[in-house]
Amino acid sequence: MKLIFNGFKHNGLFIIMFLITVIIIITVSISITWTTIRMSEQFFIKKFSITNSKVMNQMKDSFESFHYSVVIASNNLLQSSTVRKTLTEKNESNAAMMGSIFNMYQQMKSIKSNLDTYNAGIVVMGKNGISYATDRSYWPVSDKELRSNLMTRNILEHPKKLMYQYDRLPKQNAAKDRNFIVATRGLMDRITGTVYGSMYIAFAESEFRKFYSNYTSPGNHVFLVNKSGVIVSSSIENRIGTSANDLLHYAEKMEHNSKKYLLARFMNKEQIILMEYLPSFDLYMFNIIDKQTAIGDLIDKKEIALISMTIVFAALIIVFLISRKVTDSLSSLVKQISNASKYNFHQYVSVSGTYETRQIGRAFNSMLDELHEYVDQLVKAQKDRRNAELAALQQQINPHFLYNTLTTIKFMVQQGEREESEATINALISLLQNTIGTISETITVNQEVENLKSYVFINQKRYGNRIKVNYFIAPDCLDYRIPKLILQPFLENAFFHGFNLKASGYINVLVWREGNELICEVVDNGDGMEIGIEGKLPKTKRNRQLFSGIGVKNVHDRIQLIYGESYGVKIASKLGEGTKVRMNLPIRKK
Amino acid sequence: MKRILTLLLVSILVLSACSSGSKDKETSGTAKDTKEITVLAWDPNFNIKAMNLAKDAYKAINPDLKIKIIENAQADIVQKLNTNLSSGTTKGLPNIVLIEDYRAQGFLQAYPDMFYDLSKSFHADEFAPYKTATTSFNGKYYGIPFDTGVAGLYVRTDYLEKAGYKVEDLQNMDWNKYIEIGKKVKEATGKQMLTQDPKDLGLIRMMIQSSGSWYLKKDGKTPDIAENKALKEAFKTYKEMMDADIVKPVSDWSQFVAGFNSGDVASVPTGNWITPSIKAEASQSGKWTVAPFPKLSGIANSVNATNLGGSSWYVLNIPGKEKAAEFLAKTFGSNKDFYQTLVKEMGAIGTYKPAAEGDAYKAGDDFFGGQKITADFAAWTEKIPQVNYGLHTYAIEDILAVSMQDYLKGKDLDKVLEDAQKQAEDQIK
Repeated sequence: MKLIFNGFKHNGLFIIMFLITVIIIITVSISITWTTIRMSEQFFIKKFSITNSKVMNQMKDSFESFHYSVVIASNNLLQSSTVRKTLTEKNESNAAMMGSIFNMYQQMKSIKSNLDTYNAGIVVMGKNGISYATDRSYWPVSDKELRSNLMTRNILEHPKKLMYQYDRLPKQNAAKDRNFIVATRGLMDRITGTVYGSMYIAFAESEFRKFYSNYTSPGNHVFLVNKSGVIVSSSIENRIGTSANDLLHYAEKMEHNSKKYLLARFMNKEQIILMEYLPSFDLYMFNIIDKQTAIGDLIDKKEIALISMTIVFAALIIVFLISRKVTDSLSSLVKQISNASKYNFHQYVSVSGTYETRQIGRAFNSMLDELHEYVDQLVKAQKDRRNAELAALQQQINPHFLYNTLTTIKFMVQQGEREESEATINALISLLQNTIGTISETITVNQEVENLKSYVFINQKRYGNRIKVNYFIAPDCLDYRIPKLILQPFLENAFFHGFNLKASGYINVLVWREGNELICEVVDNGDGMEIGIEGKLPKTKRNRQLFSGIGVKNVHDRIQLIYGESYGVKIASKLGEGTKVRMNLPIRKK
Repeated sequence: MKRILTLLLVSILVLSACSSGSKDKETSGTAKDTKEITVLAWDPNFNIKAMNLAKDAYKAINPDLKIKIIENAQADIVQKLNTNLSSGTTKGLPNIVLIEDYRAQGFLQAYPDMFYDLSKSFHADEFAPYKTATTSFNGKYYGIPFDTGVAGLYVRTDYLEKAGYKVEDLQNMDWNKYIEIGKKVKEATGKQMLTQDPKDLGLIRMMIQSSGSWYLKKDGKTPDIAENKALKEAFKTYKEMMDADIVKPVSDWSQFVAGFNSGDVASVPTGNWITPSIKAEASQSGKWTVAPFPKLSGIANSVNATNLGGSSWYVLNIPGKEKAAEFLAKTFGSNKDFYQTLVKEMGAIGTYKPAAEGDAYKAGDDFFGGQKITADFAAWTEKIPQVNYGLHTYAIEDILAVSMQDYLKGKDLDKVLEDAQKQAEDQIK
């Protein structure tokens, strides 16, 4: 996990870029797919509704022509004097009745020819109790049943109106069809206005279904619904006779909005509903198309999803590769830059990748160059300043030293020690000559030893001979050059601090060569001192009696400044045993 | 970058090309399964029921044969046969079809090639001769007879007794006697003797066949009306009944059935197939008897036996005909036991003579006071005079129905029949 995280650390840009692209691609493709599906669905539904409303118009036409035949038949029935005579005659003899029945038969036969294209059963029933049916088995309703039927009551209420009424036979009936649509009308004398009977032109529902059954298919159904919400005919047989108030509700909605079609739920399915009102039948004709069957097959959602998924996947791979390539150079650049400090800004970044990253790399590299230049300059300036500082210090002879020395000489002169004073003055002259006189920064070991000897001589003149100084200088080292006044401070230090407790002792100055290095040691057997583990010199107050501005402390810095860090001063000391100062220097002959 | 873009485009193309692969599978053409035969008939309560019994009976003989029975209205079957046979297309035709006897000759003479010769499949002489005459043409038997339309006179014994008659008085009587009884019955009970539908001349048909006569001459083509003594007598008898006012007019089948079920009429002269309808009114059990059909008075060869309706099974000359013929031969053509089943299960009486020896035929019926009506009907069946129904039974009947009305209204009978003869000759040719 951490590994992965670390791996990602330098790829932050790539991850963000990639994730955003992924999200955008997926969002775009999903929304486009969804919109396309929706749009095509809308389109199909619209097409469907257009073609289906045409189909519905055709159905309507066939219904209308059917209605026309029914109207003609009913008018013929109404105008037939035979029918009127038979149905109004009372107490006819059997023989006469025989004749009327036969006349009726012939009359009805000709009237029924209007309806020859349709299977129909015509029943007429007179107030006198006589009834005549063309085909009783077609619509097996007995006279008694018919008389008490709701249909008959409706006829008597509106005798002039040709009404289509729905009749459902009891289940146990032997007839093939149970559902009938019966065109009913009162038989009324036009002149007197008396109703002498009623006519029933019965059509099996299956006959009605013929008008639209050619247009229906699974998922594409037709329903004829009357004003009370009962389905009187349908391509779904078991729905016939059931009430469908929701359809009635949709019909109202569509009439109100004058919409061509409606998307609504019916039979627990999402359906496209088209409606046409059949005014002559007083029926609503619905064409209900199962959206799933109509459109579900048209649009293979799975396929579309598969295609878009594949495209998305391919796009993602391409995006991955490209953005990886783009960001890779950037992130490697970033990696190199972030590591730059580890290599003291000496590691240049590799210039590669796109134009932008190459420019950045170049800029970074030139920046590194400038930085180096600047730092070098800075270091040089620092060095120069320090050098100048030390040079100034070394030029500076402590006036107290001079003052004290001169005072000593003065006493010598007063006491008449002429030779001694002369020697002292000579030593001072030599000392001053070697320090202030020469401009050169370095002197030979020999000269330095001379200086030490002069200095020691002066000090011994002043403070007595209780401290002996011995010089062990390897003869091959005499000509090597060392910085001016680098041994003097330690000797001075040993003189003034090394023998505060002990009355006498010695100081040995040793110079020899070890391999490529020149080793100089100032060893005393004086008091010794406590020193830190790091071998640092203890802090001392600047002594007024110091010979020059250069103290013990400066020596180390100075060596390092001149020769580098591998050179310097090391101090070892033990209380009561003495102090040993050791310095290593490169061998320089010039 | 360009390359990647092209690659992308190509991949999209390839993908969409793949996706539009064809889905439609070829529907394998259903080869005509000769193991299945179809039967086309009308009336689920009678013909279809009988065929189903035959199907069950045949299962024991050949369980492999699948028999599909399709029900259709008779008018539709006639139409289907006419359209298909005239155009010569056998597609969609059944293997076995039921044809009414009155129409059989029409089909056989019009399309003799389309029917399969069953002469060798069954013994025609084992069936009632009047029946085999209608199913044969040019000496070949094309149909296996199914139900007999043997007619009887169903009489209410209680009304008869009230009028002072006994069942024995009904034997071997003629129509004059019948009218006389009718008058008495009406006098005694106020009930009409029979119902008649003026547009249905079934009674006339029964009367003339009892005398061995028909609307057409023996050739089955020439109308035989004006010179037909039997027909003339039948017309006379019909009018006499009307004049005697013993006929209750009805306009359709249900009124006809209601007539005797409600006890409004004392007798029903019709085919034996009415038995179930009569027995439907269980409250009248024991009050009925079946007498032989009255014969025409004054006609020498008239017998007390006649027929109304009835139909036979025909095999169409299409693939599967051998199987269909064998099926019919093994059931309707020769199976005595099967005929017993038909009687027991649905009261259907065939015209297969050996079947009359079976137990079911000899059983008495309590509804008819223990009378062995099946045996009686079987006996009368054998006496039915053989006539050639010819080609135009219904066409002539339409003419005669009008003539009858003219005659009843007072037109001279000879004139009526002469006019009818002329009209028939004009129409039929």
